[in-house]
Amino acid sequence: MTKHLGRFIFAATSFLLAVSGFGEAPANHIDLSKFPATQLDDIVVPLPSEVFNVLDKLGTPNWQEQLRNPTVKNRGEREQIALLLGSVVAEGFVAVEAADKARVKQIGRDVLELARAIGVESTVLARTNSIVTKADSGDWIFVRRELDGALTDVKNAMIQLKDAQLAHLVSLGGWLRGTEVLTAVVQKSYSSDAADLLNQPDLLRYFQERLAGMPPRMRNNPLVNRMQKGLEEISPLINQKLTPGSVRRINEITGQMVKAINSRA
Amino acid sequence: MRRLFILLGFWAILRPAQASIDDAIASALSAIDQYVKQGYIVRDDEWGGDLGLREQKAIPHTLFKGNDYWFCIGSDVENARVAIHLYDSRGKLAESESWQRGRFAGARVLPVGTGTYYIIVEVTGSPKERTTWAMVYAYK
Repeated sequence: MTKHLGRFIFAATSFLLAVSGFGEAPANHIDLSKFPATQLDDIVVPLPSEVFNVLDKLGTPNWQEQLRNPTVKNRGEREQIALLLGSVVAEGFVAVEAADKARVKQIGRDVLELARAIGVESTVLARTNSIVTKADSGDWIFVRRELDGALTDVKNAMIQLKDAQLAHLVSLGGWLRGTEVLTAVVQKSYSSDAADLLNQPDLLRYFQERLAGMPPRMRNNPLVNRMQKGLEEISPLINQKLTPGSVRRINEITGQMVKAINSRA
Repeated sequence: MRRLFILLGFWAILRPAQASIDDAIASALSAIDQYVKQGYIVRDDEWGGDLGLREQKAIPHTLFKGNDYWFCIGSDVENARVAIHLYDSRGKLAESESWQRGRFAGARVLPVGTGTYYIIVEVTGSPKERTTWAMVYAYK
């Protein structure tokens, strides 16, 4: 009887709350320091399109001027390919902003080639075909979605292949090229609102921790080591109030890191 | 033949769990679908797991000022109640609106600054000991 009554009360309360559309009012403030670590997830790495979506609203930078031509033929170890793959996808976003059809199509083909080189070609084939097709018709919203999707699919495929470390490098490569572009754009017409987009200390820490937690074989890879040192240089700049000087310095460091990825240095 | 039976046994054990998380993802996607029509782009990825009653999970995320985000949670458990709310890095409630309808809930945030925000998901009612949930988000 008690059991039935309990079920009735639960069902009635659920029904009333469901119909009303309101749940309990959330607390206005919570103490995040008391959150148990077991109930704290890894930080979500934003997609490049989340950053470019904001950059769209900041005016009309000269995107053609920001375009680079990454050399995907110059491939080395899997670590370099993973970093390069991430940075090439980010380059795709710059090409979309520049509405450069030829470059976007080339980037679609480059993504496929790099994915093939690390054994995840089949996961991105449909996406890269879409990128090439939709670039022709100038459907930039769709191309952006497919670039985001390609990045997510590649990372998920790597995690399934027990290669989560490489997936982190893909994210890092994308973040570095995205940050290089972001700082270049912010530098051109500095405003505190635009510079605020670089307020990503936890994301930077996340990448640092992922690199530090890699097995020694990967950590000792010269390029991964170079990435670690670069992030260490960026860290104090991002962890303080951003100024035109610090934005310029972050741009230089990320630019050098992206160059190192391209040249396998 | 014996190997086949063992494999079938594993499949029988694993299948309900997989179906459950897939159903929770489908619920979360159905909750966020209304915003697609308003021009939001849904990220093709999801976060999820299972929680006990009143148990919370915090998911840190870098949100960018200038974007407009909706986060939605869904569960496959009939009669469950879930909640989702967003807090800034100081623990201050940051959402501009939120709703909760049974096993679906959503929260919108227009970040006042770029930085780390915490998405807090919670099972506030459920007939089950552990409730499977999934979260998706969209932005424009």
